[in-house]
Formats: sequence, structure tokens, C-alpha cells
Amino acid sequence: MATYPYEYYVNIVTKRYFDGVDTKDLQKVLDCFHEDAFIHEMTSNTKHDGRDAGIKTMFEGLFAHNERIWHGNFVHTVDVETESVNSQFTVEIEPHALDNQEQRYENCNRFYLKDGKFTEVFVYMSGENLLK
Amino acid sequence: MQYQSSLGREGLIDLALMKYFANVDKKDMEKTLACFHDSAQFTVQTDFTVHNGKDAIKGMFETFFGAYETIIHRDFNCTVDEKNGRISASFVAELIDDKGETTLLYNTNFWRIRGDKFQEVYVYMSGANVLV
Repeated sequence: MATYPYEYYVNIVTKRYFDGVDTKDLQKVLDCFHEDAFIHEMTSNTKHDGRDAGIKTMFEGLFAHNERIWHGNFVHTVDVETESVNSQFTVEIEPHALDNQEQRYENCNRFYLKDGKFTEVFVYMSGENLLK
Repeated sequence: MQYQSSLGREGLIDLALMKYFANVDKKDMEKTLACFHDSAQFTVQTDFTVHNGKDAIKGMFETFFGAYETIIHRDFNCTVDEKNGRISASFVAELIDDKGETTLLYNTNFWRIRGDKFQEVYVYMSGANVLV
């Protein structure tokens, strides 16, 4: 039985999760996850386990190694029945290792939720893995 | 782009899994292409490859069907956005060539439906693009 309305899934992805990533607000990002959640980057088969362990460490690295990070051009596929939202989007990112030259990706994420927070997140990237 | 879909939840799942993937696995070109509008666009986003229109999509499937003896798509996990005529699915693609070598991919597809057929298809692959 669906607990949360359609817009809840769009909002947690855009207004909470990706806004937190783009503003490098680590706590805002981590608040979207259950403690035992994982992020699995599928195109390089890299897995980050645990909100306060692997996921936190991964985001600390992402924020430290890049200047500007922006996610936009979203198209969401939202399923309140299965508590999942799959999102396609553009990423613009400026890695310090590339002299802050903007890199553009066309990615997708699959988010699976329980009680309103992420339990499993799967990421596909159109280029080199940024979530190391 | 946003399209008007005439399919409900079960219709969207049936189109993606039974009318499309089941016929891809049978290498039934006619039934596979019947899922697409003439002006459909098929994008492999992780490789920035675009096949525009049914003729180009047919060419892609001719190459794909010729490259593998056995094509199996399985272990589907669907996310269905009935309100907006969109469906997404993660799945395993098991591809066996004429030398018996198996390629396993853990992919995600996004379909945008106009009426009762695909207008846009996006594929995100966990490995090298097999839809060339």
C-alpha cells in the first residue's frame, strides 16, 4: 500500500538528495538514506555500503575533489506502489584534477525506498566513474 | 518530451516485457519493431549512440540478432509511472555468441510511451555497448 504521494519521490530526489549534493551539504545528503543503505555504481561495478561508512566516505571524496557540481534536466519515472523512482538527468562537474574544466554526463539513478528513505541506489554513468 | 499514453500499469509492463523483450529474445523482428512508432528514437545513453527512426532501429536489431546465437533478458524489476506513460526496468541481459562465449550485462531501460507504442527508449549498460 502506497504511503507517500507521487511528489514525495520527486522531492526527495531533487530538493533533498541532489540539492544536498550540489551544495555539498553532507548531512542533507546522508539524511536521505537508511543506515544500512548502499550505492552501487553499475558501469564500473563499485559498491559503497552503509550510510555512515561507505556512502559518507564516497561523498566526502566527491565534494573534496570537485569544484562545481550540478544535477539537472531530470525526467523521473515514479512508482508509488513499489516505492521506487528512476531518474534520468544531466551532471555538470568540475574536477580539480582537470583544472576545474567542466565535464558533462548523462546519467541515471534507480532509487528504492522504505519508509520514505533510500535503501538501495543504483547509478549508471555515461563516462568515467565519479563516485569512487 | 511528455506524451499521451493510452496504457495502464499492466499494459505498460506487458509492452516492455512481453511484446518487446520476449520478442527480442525470439529474434522476431516484426513483432519487436511493432512496439515502436515510425519516428521512435533509441538511445544507448552510456555510449552516446542514437538510432533515429524505425529503419535505423531495425538495422541495429539486425546487427544485434546476428551477433549472438542466444539472447536472454531476465530478472526484471519494473518501475511504472502510469500517470506519465513511462516505465523503467532493470534486468540481466545474457548474450551467448556462436563460440559459446557469454556476455552478462546488468542494464536499465527507460521507455516513454505515446499511445500504445514506444516513442523514446533509453538504455544504460553496465558494460560495452552491444546495440551498435
